[in-house]
Amino acid sequence: MVVNLINERDRNLARQLVEESGFTFEEEYDLLFGKFEDGELVATAARDHNVFKMICIRESHRGGQCLGELVTALIDSCAYSDIRNFFIFTTLENRGAFAHLNFTPLVTHGKICLLEHGNGLASYLQQHNALKQAGNNGAVVVNCNPFTRGHRYLIEAAAAQVDHLYIFVVREDRSLFPFDVRMALVREGTADLNNVSVLDTSDYAVSQVTFPGYFLKQDDDRLQLQMEIDLLLFARQIAPFFGITHRFIGTEPFCRTTRSYSDTMPCILGPEGIQTIQLERKISGDAPISAFRVRKALRNEDYEALRKLVPAATLEFLRSADGRKLLTTSKNYRRRH
Amino acid sequence: MKIIHKAQAGTMQSSDLMVFLEPAPQLRVEIDSTVKKQFEHLIRRQVESVLQRFSITSGVIRISDRGALDYAIAARLETGLLRACADERKSS
Repeated sequence: MVVNLINERDRNLARQLVEESGFTFEEEYDLLFGKFEDGELVATAARDHNVFKMICIRESHRGGQCLGELVTALIDSCAYSDIRNFFIFTTLENRGAFAHLNFTPLVTHGKICLLEHGNGLASYLQQHNALKQAGNNGAVVVNCNPFTRGHRYLIEAAAAQVDHLYIFVVREDRSLFPFDVRMALVREGTADLNNVSVLDTSDYAVSQVTFPGYFLKQDDDRLQLQMEIDLLLFARQIAPFFGITHRFIGTEPFCRTTRSYSDTMPCILGPEGIQTIQLERKISGDAPISAFRVRKALRNEDYEALRKLVPAATLEFLRSADGRKLLTTSKNYRRRH
Repeated sequence: MKIIHKAQAGTMQSSDLMVFLEPAPQLRVEIDSTVKKQFEHLIRRQVESVLQRFSITSGVIRISDRGALDYAIAARLETGLLRACADERKSS
């Protein structure tokens, strides 16, 4: 039977098994499972939100029921957390084993493969079928925490260079401004542009799945790999569906992670036939506009500065009752994005 | 009966299946199976006959099958339906 591993001793046994299997034991997980036989841990697996990882089975127990049991426990635990789509990172040689559990590959990069259970990506794309436009289209992927005059400038400049511009707003709710608010402000702030569509990224770009390092500090090698997988998924699955040939980004003067994402972008998207265009950030006063600067001004309740940094709709929200509530939260907000 | 909340049933073991149910305005059945090419039509027929028996006319039913036999499909789906249609106030 598969059980939750909660005490120190069991966790250490899991760590041993993971390391003996040639993987790194990662501390970031919500739940850790294991299967014992005669007091010995023969299999282990972990779930980090909607990503299954560290699935390791002792050599003597492979090819049997272990994998099915582990995956059942992982999927069952998702029901309690209201998670619908689950993902697995695995190596090329293990891809087949997961295919037998109805996991389909989303993207393969070197020896690493990202798989998804069910047809989440297909139904995500299908949902946005009505937004498909012919021609040479562009895309921006933005968090907009919150929507600033800088975002507006980037979007306007990008939209002028393509037939249609898709604005992908990061779905992951790990920012000061909740997703619904960010989305609404982007919609309002771009409503006057007639060749743009606003849609969410779901799990498929700059998400907890594809790019956890955007939200949590991680070491450089893992970060680099995540960025490459995130960009490949965009290039191979999302861009072809919408006919996207250009991806636009602003210059990044502040955040090292975002900067290296921008630096990686042309290297990955280029060979896939997508051009990366970097636009100089809009300046206000003597410094570039950034959402970070907006949040700082908000913390200081400097509404004169905010007026210069954000468009009317965003300012209006910041001054509303809901906006005032976020002000209190913002005083303790220390995250990067 | 009507699917009123999310539920699931079954396992991902070989020869078994998992059924995921959730409320939706229309009826939709999505089937994923390791033997989809050969047996999708039979799985669908079996699912539909159970749905008919329970008079289900709305909801999303997702099946993740690993080569289950017909009676297993019926049993897992029935369990899932009883969970998804259960009135939580009564079943405490």
